[in-house]
Amino acid sequence: MQPAISVNNLGVTYRAKKGESLNAVRGLSFSVAPGEIVGFLGPNGAGKSSTLKALMGFVEPDAGELQIFGDQAGTPESRMQIGYLPEVAMYYPFLTPVETLTMYGELQGLFGKTLRKEIDDLLDLVGIGHAKNKLNRSMSKGMLQRVGIAQSLLGNPRLLILDEVTSGLDPVGRKELRTLLKAKRDEGATLFFSSHELAEVDMLCDRLILIHKGQLIEERTMSTLKDELREYRLTYRGSANVSDIARDMNTGADGITIASFANAESMLGATERIRTKGGTILDIVSQEGSLEEYFVHTIQEAA
Amino acid sequence: MNPRIYTALARTVVLESLRRKDLWVVAILGFIIILTAGTLGFFGFDGLEIFAKDLAVTVLGLFSTILAILTSSRLLPDEIKNRTLYPLLARPITRGQLLAGKLLGAVLVSWIAFLILAVLTAAALLVFKVKFEPIMLQYLFGKMMGLVVICALSMTLSAYMTPSAGATMSFVFAFGSSMISRALVMGYDSAPEAIRPVFQLISVLLPQVSLFDMGGRVVNINWGPVQAWVMWSLFGYMLLYSSATIALGWVKFRKQAV
Repeated sequence: MQPAISVNNLGVTYRAKKGESLNAVRGLSFSVAPGEIVGFLGPNGAGKSSTLKALMGFVEPDAGELQIFGDQAGTPESRMQIGYLPEVAMYYPFLTPVETLTMYGELQGLFGKTLRKEIDDLLDLVGIGHAKNKLNRSMSKGMLQRVGIAQSLLGNPRLLILDEVTSGLDPVGRKELRTLLKAKRDEGATLFFSSHELAEVDMLCDRLILIHKGQLIEERTMSTLKDELREYRLTYRGSANVSDIARDMNTGADGITIASFANAESMLGATERIRTKGGTILDIVSQEGSLEEYFVHTIQEAA
Repeated sequence: MNPRIYTALARTVVLESLRRKDLWVVAILGFIIILTAGTLGFFGFDGLEIFAKDLAVTVLGLFSTILAILTSSRLLPDEIKNRTLYPLLARPITRGQLLAGKLLGAVLVSWIAFLILAVLTAAALLVFKVKFEPIMLQYLFGKMMGLVVICALSMTLSAYMTPSAGATMSFVFAFGSSMISRALVMGYDSAPEAIRPVFQLISVLLPQVSLFDMGGRVVNINWGPVQAWVMWSLFGYMLLYSSATIALGWVKFRKQAV
């Protein structure tokens, strides 16, 4: 099956006027399978937007091969299959959402009653149906972001590329958007989005791709990452020593030991050993690890 | 080649211009012209047909050219500055189609402004009992073709330089066209034989906007209309020069990082 996105050895360089150049992306390779939701993460200046721009054809890569469902990225044929939400975009201030979407729809090859119905449905879906005939300039940042989301969904694209998708949305809007994006995935769409909101990534993604200074740092499925980050903590009283299977272990002056384990099996082995030695288990905790800590730690290691 | 792409882009330019009140400014200016002419007529300054026509063609040429340059020279830079370009370029269209659609929009805006002014000016001329003559229609067509060249030139210059520099250059070429042509002819006449092709080349490269301005013939009562081949030649020049100019703009814009 053709990957939805295939990036092979991508390089993007910006040239300043005084002969200086900035390598925004270097040797980046990854792929996204159809139907996946993939988060594209990295600190500011990591090269996320440059990669997305290269995929859309907004910047010319100086190296590498990029494909969208087998078509060369940046061509009208590849863009026909993409719904794109830019990181920061204004929508013509003197047009209404209906007029804005009509123009984008016609550029997409849609027209007539079909287009009008799709626009009405989309504006209702993103929650601004009531403001469809207001001028864009009179709208809040959040409402404009909803216009942006609606335009990205025009023509029911197979692939959604979303740059900072929840920017400007309030918590209610974010929740609605998550529901909407998951529904799109259930309909078979592929989602590839960049975000600084790790909570969004956690709730939405099947997989994440982490880049730093224009290079790939890590590529992980969320399920394995969550398993890895999950912490199992055991508090007990007794003389049993579980340091050989614990990740970390501390015994206080009161004789109470707190040990943490990398996985459930190790913890179960420890409980068995404690009971055999006549110890008392006081508390068992299984908690999700922090994605933020993972992100900061991984970036610091890469730096 | 889907015509809907061009009409969708052009409609946006016209709608934005209408709602930004650009065209209303033109209508207000036209109203002032009528008022002035009406006042002159009321106080008995009739019989000043040449003066009235001279004023009319000057005002028409001036305001329509200013609007054409201001509209077309800010289209691309504004799209980039306001980041409205991203959702546009994300559509399955080429950058060439985008340029052509925007150019069509700029031309339509300048034509609408010109025709509003022309109708109001015609009403003003009625005060002076100026009769309609075929040369006036030729003047309108000529001027409209000239506006296409000006729009294409302004858009292309805005792709190569800052919006203000592009607009300034466009004003120089639009309003200084006849002066530049005269200077080139004088230079050609006085230059040594070996240098003359340089003057010819510059003459070909620079826009001959003054060719489209038949205001002089409109003002002078005894000058009749021009022959059809002149109009067709102007049409051919407009097509050729505008296409070449916008193609130059495309060369810069097609790979430009945004």
